[in-house]
Amino acid sequence: MPKLVVDGLGKRYDLGRSPDETGPLQWMRRMGARVLKRGTNGDEPERPREFWALKDVSFTVEPGTVLGVIGTNGAGKTTLLKILARVIAPTEGHVAGSGRVVSLLELGSGFDPELSARDNIYLNAAMLGIARSDVSRRFDQILEFAEVDKFVDLPLKHYSSGMYLRLAFSVAINMEPSILLADEILAVGDQSFQERCLERVKQEAERGLTVLFVSHDMEAIVRICNHTLWLNQGGIAGFGESDGVVADYQNSVFAGGFTGSERGRHANRHAILRDVSVVTEDGREVRGVRTNEMAFLRMRFELLENHLCACAAYDVRARGQLIFRTADPAGMRLFRNGGMWEALMRLPARFFNEMTYNVIPSLTVAREGEDRRQYVLMGEPLSFIVYAPDATTPGKDKGVRSGYLTPQFRWKFERLDEQPADAAEGDAARA
Amino acid sequence: MADAADAWVIEPRREGVSARAFELWRYRRMLWFLAVRTVKDRYEGMTLGIFWLFARPLFPILIGGFVFGGLLGVPSDGVPFMLFYMTGIVPWTLFERSILWGTKCLTQHRSLMKRLYFPRLISPISSISPAAADFVIYMVLLVGLALFYLWKDGVWYLRIGPPLLVALLMSVLAVFAALSVILWTCVFQARHPETRFGLRYFMRFWMFLTPVFYPISIIPPEHRWLLYVNPMASVVSTFRWGVIGVGELPLVPLATSIVVAMVAMAAGIWFFTFSESSTIDRL
Repeated sequence: MPKLVVDGLGKRYDLGRSPDETGPLQWMRRMGARVLKRGTNGDEPERPREFWALKDVSFTVEPGTVLGVIGTNGAGKTTLLKILARVIAPTEGHVAGSGRVVSLLELGSGFDPELSARDNIYLNAAMLGIARSDVSRRFDQILEFAEVDKFVDLPLKHYSSGMYLRLAFSVAINMEPSILLADEILAVGDQSFQERCLERVKQEAERGLTVLFVSHDMEAIVRICNHTLWLNQGGIAGFGESDGVVADYQNSVFAGGFTGSERGRHANRHAILRDVSVVTEDGREVRGVRTNEMAFLRMRFELLENHLCACAAYDVRARGQLIFRTADPAGMRLFRNGGMWEALMRLPARFFNEMTYNVIPSLTVAREGEDRRQYVLMGEPLSFIVYAPDATTPGKDKGVRSGYLTPQFRWKFERLDEQPADAAEGDAARA
Repeated sequence: MADAADAWVIEPRREGVSARAFELWRYRRMLWFLAVRTVKDRYEGMTLGIFWLFARPLFPILIGGFVFGGLLGVPSDGVPFMLFYMTGIVPWTLFERSILWGTKCLTQHRSLMKRLYFPRLISPISSISPAAADFVIYMVLLVGLALFYLWKDGVWYLRIGPPLLVALLMSVLAVFAALSVILWTCVFQARHPETRFGLRYFMRFWMFLTPVFYPISIIPPEHRWLLYVNPMASVVSTFRWGVIGVGELPLVPLATSIVVAMVAMAAGIWFFTFSESSTIDRL
């Protein structure tokens, strides 16, 4: 089976002082300005003349892969997709693939709102260079999937955005693409349509369809994509199994989220938040924990004065979502003596799911009796991986579907139409 | 479904001429759609839509005919001046309008081009559709005018037969020549919006160099070659010769014009291909 091979791809944009400035019109304008003695050329500050939206991007995608593309804004995700869709030409490198490439880059880009759905389907096919007979064969299929069969002769301008999206997706997927490029688009529809889309994408992937799916919804990426490409400033920052790449990406985002002034807030004149780590019962610092082990979050902080009140708290996040926020239940605790302190918070066993969690520690400090003037210290974010007891390599999430947390609770069963004496009691947690 | 024949490669420079021509053919429906849409956009929402369709070309002709034929008394080789004038203005307007419409094609199709792939050559080619639509209307008006003179003078001035075919070929040549100009100007227009401004005046100037409202016979034969340096001169006079049988069939200048148009087209395609990707990045 053929695959999609991207080799050394780069895209340069010329900024400002570009070939235009050497063009005849600009030359005339400059000469005019010189004659009028308005500013000379030498005074203009050098600006960067070029910008690489993509640089040295190489990867290979096997057919049937659903590849997630992630990265912060401006990382080059859309540029990559646009090159693959041939909307823009690369500056260097090349891409080899085969079959039909269908893109869903912007909703309804190939649609004419004045035309009916019927005409638009043919129009879209024309834009993809698909023969009319091919479309006629799949016409009913397209309408059926889009659930717009009743409105087939209604001009698209009367369609709701959901109908628009359904039609666009249905047309794209039914054109038998070999490669489908989707830019954030699948995240738009309602839940049930999304499910159907993803189901369909999976079916087609088994047939050999390759999907490149750009999204900021990490949940969706992990759910749909078997591989993920993480782009950062035009280069590849990570490529591989979705779980691992997404976890790395999120760590970098959170670590980068507290730069500059905020990073400096781990210390003030009252206290310094020294370090936070995950430790086992015997005090070893670890980065991974098994689901059946308990561990501790250890925060070390230094109080620079006596008689300070402080309260430690943690935000626990996974895949970009805040899972929970927890603080010392005692509230603002009074520390009569300053110096180094250590706070241990127990992380129960059988509570976290198999995934990467990000922890953002904070410490609220106030002078005794001055509760109104509180200072919040933010610690460096840290992450830890929770993995199954039998897993050899941490970080391979398998039970992801069951939610962010998998706590176990006490269960009690009672048979209601008999004597209470016969009640059966079960304790699933100890099973 | 993905056999070797479907394989493609995306590279900084596009593949060869034959592949591009084939691709253009595959996208022909897109070409038709864009062409129709450009015409529709123009008259969209106008209350007097169909009226403008005919009034726009008619008024300038009436005024031009009155000024040049009536007031200035420009000779017209023995046919009614209005008919004479009309047969010059039809191929010229086709040429001029094509260029002026085509020049803004990249800016006009900007949003589509930034979202969708199609062979970029489709954009300039489809953008001459309003001029082509105008041409059809002009021809209708021309026939109407001939009918008017048939009723008034009892003479049917239009020729029916092979020369008319030659005239139609001349209109194709006019479009062809216009396209070879557009391939340059649309790129300039995308970078310097004043291109079309200047072009308007240049085209007006060019029209006076072309025998549109005066017959070639007012120029002494030994100086006619000067006029024929302008490739459009032979196109316009051949068109007129084909439709009303007036003037001469300038064979040598016509052949030269065809060669010039061919060369210009080849250069235009080269230039357009060379600059399309960087121009679209900049749109």
